[in-house]
Amino acid sequence: MNSGTPSSSAAGAGSADSTAPRRNSKRPKYSRFTQQELPACKPILTPKWVIGTFLLVSVIFIPIGVVSLFASRDVVEIVDRYETDCIPEALRNDKVGFIQSDRSKTCQRTLRVPKNMKQPIYVYYQLDNFYQNHRRYVKSRSDQQLRNNGSLQDTGPCKPEDNTAGGPIVPCGLIAWSLFNDTYGFTRNNQQLNVSKRDISWKSDREHKFGKNVFPRNFQNGTLRGGATLKPNVSLSEQEDLIVWMRTAALPTFRKLYGKIEVDLQRDDFINVTLENNYNTYSFSGKKKLVLSTTSWLGGKNDFVGIAYLTVGGLCFFLALVFLLIYLIKPRQLGDPSYLSWNRNPSGH
Amino acid sequence: MKRYVYINDDNLAKDIYCDNRISNRKYTILNFLPKNLWEQFSRFMNQYFLLIACLQLWSLITPVNPASTWGPLILIFAVSSSKEAWDDYNRYLLDKKANEKEIWIVRQGIRKLIQAQDICIGNIVWLRENDEVPCDLLLLGTADPQGFCYVETAALDGETDLKTRSIPSACMGIDVDLLHKIKGVIECPSPNKDIRRFDANMRLFPPFLDNDIFPLTIKNTLLQSCYLRNTEWACGVAVYTGNQTKLGMCRGIAEPKLTAVDAMIDKLTGAVFVFQIVVVIVLGIAGNVFKDKQGRKLWYVQYPKEGPWYELLVIPLRFELLCSIMIPISIKVSLDLAKSLYAKFIDWDVEMVDPETGIRSNAANQAISEDLGQVEYILTDKTGTLTENKMIFKRCCISGRFYGNESGDALTDAQLLNAASTGSADVILFLKVMAICNTVIPVRSKSGTISYKALSQDEEALVCASARLRMVLENKNGNILDINFNASPMQYEVLDTLEFTSDRKRMSVVVRECQSGELFILSKGADETILPLTYSGQQVRTFAEAVEQYAQMGLRTLCLAWRKLEEDEYQEWTSMFKEANSTLVDRERRVAEVCQRLERDFEILGVAAIEDRLQEGVPETIEILRKAGINFWMLTGDKMSTAIQIALSCNFVSPEPKGQILIIDGKTEDEVCRSLDRVLLTTRITESESKDVAFVVDGWALEIALKHYRKPFTELAILSRTAICCRVTPSQKAQLVELLKLCDYRTLAIGDGGNDVRMIQQADIGVGISGREGLQAARAADYSIGKFRFLKRLILVHGRYSYNRTAFLSQYSFYKSFLICFIQIFFSFISGVSGTSLFNTVSLMAYNVFYTSVPVLFSVLDKDLSERTVMQHPQILFDCQSGRLLNPSTFAGWFGRSLFHAIVVFVITIHSYAFEKSVMEEVAMVAVSGCIWLQAFVVALETNSFTIFQHLAIWGNLVGFYAINWIVSSIPTSGMYTIMFRLCEQPSYWITMILIVATGMCPVLALKYLRYTYRPSRINLLQQSERLGGPILSSGIIEPKSRSSLDKDIPTDSVYEPLLSESPSATRRSAGPTQRLDSVQSQSPPHSTHTRKDN
Repeated sequence: MNSGTPSSSAAGAGSADSTAPRRNSKRPKYSRFTQQELPACKPILTPKWVIGTFLLVSVIFIPIGVVSLFASRDVVEIVDRYETDCIPEALRNDKVGFIQSDRSKTCQRTLRVPKNMKQPIYVYYQLDNFYQNHRRYVKSRSDQQLRNNGSLQDTGPCKPEDNTAGGPIVPCGLIAWSLFNDTYGFTRNNQQLNVSKRDISWKSDREHKFGKNVFPRNFQNGTLRGGATLKPNVSLSEQEDLIVWMRTAALPTFRKLYGKIEVDLQRDDFINVTLENNYNTYSFSGKKKLVLSTTSWLGGKNDFVGIAYLTVGGLCFFLALVFLLIYLIKPRQLGDPSYLSWNRNPSGH
Repeated sequence: MKRYVYINDDNLAKDIYCDNRISNRKYTILNFLPKNLWEQFSRFMNQYFLLIACLQLWSLITPVNPASTWGPLILIFAVSSSKEAWDDYNRYLLDKKANEKEIWIVRQGIRKLIQAQDICIGNIVWLRENDEVPCDLLLLGTADPQGFCYVETAALDGETDLKTRSIPSACMGIDVDLLHKIKGVIECPSPNKDIRRFDANMRLFPPFLDNDIFPLTIKNTLLQSCYLRNTEWACGVAVYTGNQTKLGMCRGIAEPKLTAVDAMIDKLTGAVFVFQIVVVIVLGIAGNVFKDKQGRKLWYVQYPKEGPWYELLVIPLRFELLCSIMIPISIKVSLDLAKSLYAKFIDWDVEMVDPETGIRSNAANQAISEDLGQVEYILTDKTGTLTENKMIFKRCCISGRFYGNESGDALTDAQLLNAASTGSADVILFLKVMAICNTVIPVRSKSGTISYKALSQDEEALVCASARLRMVLENKNGNILDINFNASPMQYEVLDTLEFTSDRKRMSVVVRECQSGELFILSKGADETILPLTYSGQQVRTFAEAVEQYAQMGLRTLCLAWRKLEEDEYQEWTSMFKEANSTLVDRERRVAEVCQRLERDFEILGVAAIEDRLQEGVPETIEILRKAGINFWMLTGDKMSTAIQIALSCNFVSPEPKGQILIIDGKTEDEVCRSLDRVLLTTRITESESKDVAFVVDGWALEIALKHYRKPFTELAILSRTAICCRVTPSQKAQLVELLKLCDYRTLAIGDGGNDVRMIQQADIGVGISGREGLQAARAADYSIGKFRFLKRLILVHGRYSYNRTAFLSQYSFYKSFLICFIQIFFSFISGVSGTSLFNTVSLMAYNVFYTSVPVLFSVLDKDLSERTVMQHPQILFDCQSGRLLNPSTFAGWFGRSLFHAIVVFVITIHSYAFEKSVMEEVAMVAVSGCIWLQAFVVALETNSFTIFQHLAIWGNLVGFYAINWIVSSIPTSGMYTIMFRLCEQPSYWITMILIVATGMCPVLALKYLRYTYRPSRINLLQQSERLGGPILSSGIIEPKSRSSLDKDIPTDSVYEPLLSESPSATRRSAGPTQRLDSVQSQSPPHSTHTRKDN
């Protein structure tokens, strides 16, 4: 038929289009990519492969689980919860009042070593229910100021612990301000056990995050007293307790390294701990624990990984068995065309 | 509104009308940024992200550095802006080239060379052969003494033949030198976009002819972007310039089409947004409660006693920012990239290149490839789309004698040849009409052979046939035609041409035989418009029978008629005709009325039957697409019997007794109503049987049905898989598309000619065939292909893959965003519900932009089934049509998976990195690594075919992740300094990763395996058989099983419910007025096999 009808919007879409038909007639280049014919491997989930995979996973996972569990069990760990015990019984009704008072907070604890512990023995303090990851807390620090002597005034994120009447606080912010201030002294058989406080922080932090020529200023001079004070004449890069504390924890239960005991402890040794119970965890009913622990290739004592591996491995083995049984009992031919619904429709011929 | 153009007047009009500067640009340098930004921000997603980004600037609530949102946002904006800018710059360059082209014009009576952009209305422009016309001109003079010139209008309407243009009679005979001085006024309509009409008048000033108004038509114009051909020179006066030319007005920005997939993604995004708000509110309340109950006791946090007034809002807003990653910022970019690649694959496909013409397929609209896979209705034109539009004169019936036997065509029929050579008067007259009554232009090549340039294929066929029968149209010199019959020349002068319009359905010419001076009107047209115009007394029964007989062979018929005219009758008529032609208002109707006065009392000479062969592969293509569950409607301008014949040979309908054709006809409302009711009733009854029912309706009945019986007709449209609509006009075609769209079907319209343009633009997907009727349809369409048979590949291969890939890509984008967002939410529960972000800025930013976008982008290369399998089992398209791969339930699956994976990552991370290892930065990186590892395996599990690119992307991405993090970890000032190095040294890190992957993937793998083996989807079944070389491949075509064996085979499993209960329409539409009808349809059995019929 003639295209004799007027068609209003039919004409070309602009001068640019006038070349389209010409360009169009060029034959496209052939390549396997443009034709979507790249060689491809097309795996499908055959029973053989799937059951094999599950078996393989279980074969790998169960030994790893066992090894991990052994590693974790090899770690000797002494945990002593002391926050309640270190308050005189008479004053336990008002723990917050006690901790805020000026009484002597020295407390004696005795720990029994259950197994031989090889040096180095790590001394941790563990806090529970302490939200170092709280939004207000975790941001309240100034990395600039910590690193650089020239950035004293860089206290932007530190509020409300940023300035005192005497100038900016170094190190500023809530994290530094709330520095943990319980102290521990260890004796074994009335002999002083030396706790090394060197190299308990990350080397990279000491060298690059905390300046060698940055010194504390106006620290804990404000109206509110937070945690520990810092030695005024020691540069921040050597205040290792601070550096450790400033590595904020992701969980409300965390351990931080207090020091290292660099002698072996024998089984059934009794260790006397003289601790200064200064830190206030009572107002938010947090727990405080003293932990002495050795370490393994996987880190501290943590059964989770081992158990998880054993569970996953076991489950995979179980699944492999189930699949195998189903496969044997109710075999099914893959890709049987009679399962295609349109092949089974009686009206299809 | 009218405009007055004063010819050659340098003072006037300069300021009133715009100059000839063409501008296709969307932006200028100054307004680019604001305009582009405004456009981008008119999208909801972008507004959302901007709001989030602005909120992040408030340091009190931002969990991370604002860069984590600003970075990607700016990147995304920059990418799309620079694309826009680049396109606009190219448009600018093209415009500039056109604007600065040098053109000869007349100023102050002197010919001058100026730039095209300085042409003003009223300027006289001189063109030489092969020049492009710079603006819309009214022709004043040409090199041709008769005042003709030839133009090629391909750039305007895509028609490649040469068109004749003539100067207005007023300018006839004006000397070349005088043309410089010509003065006058042209009264023409204000700029409009109708390229087929120019209803204007002209009056010349003294010393030229005066006081006589001359009518002007489109025939007197040279439109912008046409080329002057075969004419030494031409000159004309500029009437429309710049962007006000016909071409400029036609230029419109098409409404962007939204695919069903896009709509679904938008819907899901909305749902996610609501979910996010709920989460934010819940967490916000929890956070405030925790703060009051617990937070104030945390002395180290130092909550102020009295907060600002907005204190209660702070925590919810923080959570809003934390959860904003739930809506992936990268999804738009990823999808756009993927879509443009789908379009490229269509462009590149060598199997969709027409081997004859070398025309390749082209996806003009890059954004809607997924819709191809979801097509439910195809509305197709007949001529040129299903058929080749290569007309061949096959048979004829001249004064009651039938020429052309069963085997041969009329041209080889000895009887006809004999009659022609012996000079039988009837036959000679018949041949004369064939040779003269047309608008064909003969072009004599240098070697002396004559070729014909014709607008209409029918005319070309007739002229060629008459030439074979020794009546040769040799030359057309202005109005004078040279005819050579049996080596004796004849001359005719064409006085008037009564043009073809689709309403008149006939064309006539008034000619004067130069020797005898006798006047004739020769006419040809469709039988129903010619046969009623005979003089009383002529028997038309034989002709009507001939028409019927030819139509049943699927031939197109034309009736040829003539009448002698008396001189005074003609003179009287011609003045009326001139008058009608010079009306400005409603010219077409008035002209048609006047034409009718002359077109009467015809003597019918005979019927010519023209064959239009089916294109190669059409029946197979239709059969496969019908098997794929696509319903076909044929909309044609042809007559009913021809249409039915073609429909049968195209596999539209199975022949009796399997198929049944129901005809709706009638001239009055009542008749149509009765007929419609009857057909509807039959259709409802036969729906339960597996009968192939098609209804046929003609344009007249269709108009009544659409006007008065819309509801029953809609029901019929839904019930019937096939419809044949004949004698329909372009606007009716568009109406039918609209009707189906209103029923919520995905429609594809395919056509090749200008009359299909409206339908193509109306449909969800428009496909144009770059055929012999020009490129008009192909221009307007979203996809243009060379041949109808490529439609099969376009839909089944490209459409299906695109849908599958986008379904995965979009859902995966949400999965990975949910994954990281859930971890953030879980973390907030162990951080005092205070809105702390576990992840740092770098990780959050890179997670969305790099780590998780790159591997999944390569899923655009994924192929779930090979092309061959899809072609063998087109039924698999059901899954795409019904949206099986992307719908709320599959989305829920991905949601569940992300929740599970988030729990796995979170629980394992916080337990294996507990106590002394619980350093914020380390835990964060362990969790991020866990997500990256998991998503790599998820992509791997969901990939059906691994090419080298997928391996590179999936596993290379892991390497990239570590590389990026090592780099960031080596910058001392970054918060992540040394973290990644420390982690990678720890055995516990790697052990944790393996644990996360195994715990996350084993259940997913087990579930997938169980479904794959024991409840396989149809895609799975075909995958299995394809890859294991199962029986499907070996047999090729499936033999239908006998009933008895079937009964045993069918398991009672609910998965194997009958096909049609899961047919696309049943699952998709659940609400709305069509529900009842759907339930009827869903019980219908499939019409899966049809016996093919050779054409």
